[in-house]
Amino acid sequence: MLTPFHVLHPTTIPEATRELQRLGERVKVYAGGAELLLLLRHKLLEAEYLLNIKGIRELNGIVRDGSLLRIGATVTHHRLESDPLVRECLPMLAHAESQVANIRVRNQGTLGGNLCFNDPHSDPSTSLLVYEAKVMVAGRSGVREMPLNEFLMGMYATALEPDELLIEVLVPPLQSGFGDAYLRVHNFQRPTLGVAVAARLQDERIAGVRLAVGCIGPKAERLGELEAQLMGASMVEAERVIGQSRPYLNDLLQPVNDLLGSADYKLYIAQVLLQRGLEQAVHSNGGHESVG
Amino acid sequence: MSDELKSRQFIALSLTINGKSWEGKVPAEETLLEFVRNRLGLTGTKRSCESEVCGACTVLVDNQAVSACNYLAFEAEGKRVLTIEGLEVDGKLDPLQEAFIRNVGAQCGYCTPGQIMAAKALLLENPSPTREQIAEWLSGNICRCGAYPAIARSVLEAARVEQTRKEKRNA
Repeated sequence: MLTPFHVLHPTTIPEATRELQRLGERVKVYAGGAELLLLLRHKLLEAEYLLNIKGIRELNGIVRDGSLLRIGATVTHHRLESDPLVRECLPMLAHAESQVANIRVRNQGTLGGNLCFNDPHSDPSTSLLVYEAKVMVAGRSGVREMPLNEFLMGMYATALEPDELLIEVLVPPLQSGFGDAYLRVHNFQRPTLGVAVAARLQDERIAGVRLAVGCIGPKAERLGELEAQLMGASMVEAERVIGQSRPYLNDLLQPVNDLLGSADYKLYIAQVLLQRGLEQAVHSNGGHESVG
Repeated sequence: MSDELKSRQFIALSLTINGKSWEGKVPAEETLLEFVRNRLGLTGTKRSCESEVCGACTVLVDNQAVSACNYLAFEAEGKRVLTIEGLEVDGKLDPLQEAFIRNVGAQCGYCTPGQIMAAKALLLENPSPTREQIAEWLSGNICRCGAYPAIARSVLEAARVEQTRKEKRNA
């Protein structure tokens, strides 16, 4: 049984942010409930009010806007894995979304809810970091835009202020010539490790590369230094560079020992999947594969 | 606690459950699982992990599989809810139910309503899935007895039966 709460049903963004200001910590945003209701059931979180933002029509769209896709906060994972526009423009995101938990969670859980919860064991954020996604956040003084990697601050922590609402995720498709790959290992429907790669070869040398690793530390991270080292490398050299990146990955990702595996194991698998993901990205140009 | 909260919030709800309409009020925090089991006495839907992991409480809302344990009842407003009890039409079992019986797609049977409802959602979305697609889709429905091979066989067979019936109807 859930502890009783009241549900509020705003129909506009200003109405929703006004309620957040009015009620502060007593209200929790309800965007799908996949994670929020679990936390309430297990009494890890208390809420006197749920702010049901699913009735705000503007938050439920997937729209092409120039070179971007604008994805509303209440778009579900299942919609993202099956939407023709997302599959065409952001195939790696569509694939990562198809890997989220199970079909019931994907029918209920939303992208906005997922990002705001920032569970370390999550698929969408890793691929969105490679797309260099931005988020739009509405608050008392209007709407602000920020890069996703600044929004995701730490384990279950984001840059969202208590009276702010994540309204949209802006995702630019990869430039032409880039291939991509999202590889993961998982255990009981939760990812142990997720690796997202976008890369482009020119004259057999890496002419562009973006890498992100999620799930093994507090939050998903872009691997900026490793990307810089890989520029201009041949694929053979790239494999060696990734093979030597362990100290860097350890410092950046802060892997932990847990029931999903030791920190050593996770670092090793991260390197293997980075090597495989790079290979797959440059050769298959949008091909996808799931491991485990 | 504010005055507003001294009383529980009841939300008006009108939905279709297994083809019949239902109207009334439910507490804001009532889950769809509590609604179908406790309020309607439809106990075919099982409670198990209450964490959206095991799939035992799978029901369809507008043909989409959801975990009834983690779905607030008021969300079903204006929607069609289908539970295992609603699969039978005019005294005739659904091809999935028949196939599960023929293939003994269960051991203890506790997960079976959830397995069948999840499979129903799959066949509505993809009427002729491969064995791999079935395995992928049902990976969110746990069977602690390990009847997975027979479950997959049942779903494959039900899909074939439905396809054949459809072809006959169209012939």
